[in-house]
Amino acid sequence: MLKVQVISPEKVLFEGDATSVVAPAFDGELGILTGHAPMITALGTGTLRVEGGAGNQRFNIAGGFLQVVDDQVRVVTEQATAV
Amino acid sequence: MAQGRELKGRIKSIEGTRKITRSMEMVATSKLKRAQDRVVAARPYARALEAVIADLYSPELAERFPLLRQPEHGAQDDLPKSGSRAAVILLTSNQGLAGAFNSNLIKEARSLLARLTAGGVQTEIHVVGRKGTGFFRYVGTPVATSRVDIGDKPLAEHGSQLVDDLMTDFIDKKLDAVYVVYAKYNSPLSTPPVAERVLPVTPPVREGPVRDYLLFPNAEQILTVLLPLYVRNAVYRALVETVAGEQGARRTAMKAATDNAGDILNDLRRTYNRARQAQITQEIAEIVGGAEALSG
Repeated sequence: MLKVQVISPEKVLFEGDATSVVAPAFDGELGILTGHAPMITALGTGTLRVEGGAGNQRFNIAGGFLQVVDDQVRVVTEQATAV
Repeated sequence: MAQGRELKGRIKSIEGTRKITRSMEMVATSKLKRAQDRVVAARPYARALEAVIADLYSPELAERFPLLRQPEHGAQDDLPKSGSRAAVILLTSNQGLAGAFNSNLIKEARSLLARLTAGGVQTEIHVVGRKGTGFFRYVGTPVATSRVDIGDKPLAEHGSQLVDDLMTDFIDKKLDAVYVVYAKYNSPLSTPPVAERVLPVTPPVREGPVRDYLLFPNAEQILTVLLPLYVRNAVYRALVETVAGEQGARRTAMKAATDNAGDILNDLRRTYNRARQAQITQEIAEIVGGAEALSG
């Protein structure tokens, strides 16, 4: 299981478990599963999908970054709205 | 009993005032709660940004980022050198009745401006909030920009609107430093005014072990994106903390006013009752005196 956090300047939009995360990276979509190597990547604009755990979640995001460490995924973005 | 009627009038009026201050206290308390929640909700973002910037930052990279361009220091170590230009963003509230809250902020900004000017730095001031704007209009100091539309619920966008132009000026070397004067929210009772330098960025210090991250595209590009977010977030946080500080200060001020009204009411009621009692005593004395005169 991945522990996922979606954070905007105003608040934490989502915090919970997921089996996979698909994020719009700066150069195209990027999928994260458990056991991913530590990574930081810049994000572009698009839809972030958090799948599994408490059902599927979608967010429209723009900019920011995604960080993966020890199966913890942190999406930090300046603009995020749940879809 | 002329004095009695006068006292009764004053008691009524102070009771009215106390009702008003008490309800303002209660309004501030509930707004404070919400403002406090916003301060807390803003923390994870700031912490996450800080941690990643600290991880990626290395002194070799610093020279390549205009936002990290450190100023040459002047006579006082913490100020830019003489001949440079600095901008000060002052955050104040739109409404008063919050004790010394706004005047403390204005005082802090004026002392920073005075120190900068004394060091030969050219300054410009950007004011947020009706109270600060009004003050600078009253003393006749020209302000570069002022806005009064932010109110109780600042958004992240407001932070970027305030600082984006200054960031561009800083990159174009039209500015050498940017400060924000705001109320730091320690607790509802402690909201000291502080002046914080947001530009050039002071890189956060790394905590914990160095991790070997895969970086896409690379550290330099990621920092290019994240540093502006960091600056905007510093201003956004200043905005939310100032709002929370304002409500805290107002609650304290209104609580003091309510308590004072209670003390004054006690005194007045005592004086009123004493006057009433004295009058009754006197009337009895007169009646007794009159009766004795008749029977005698």
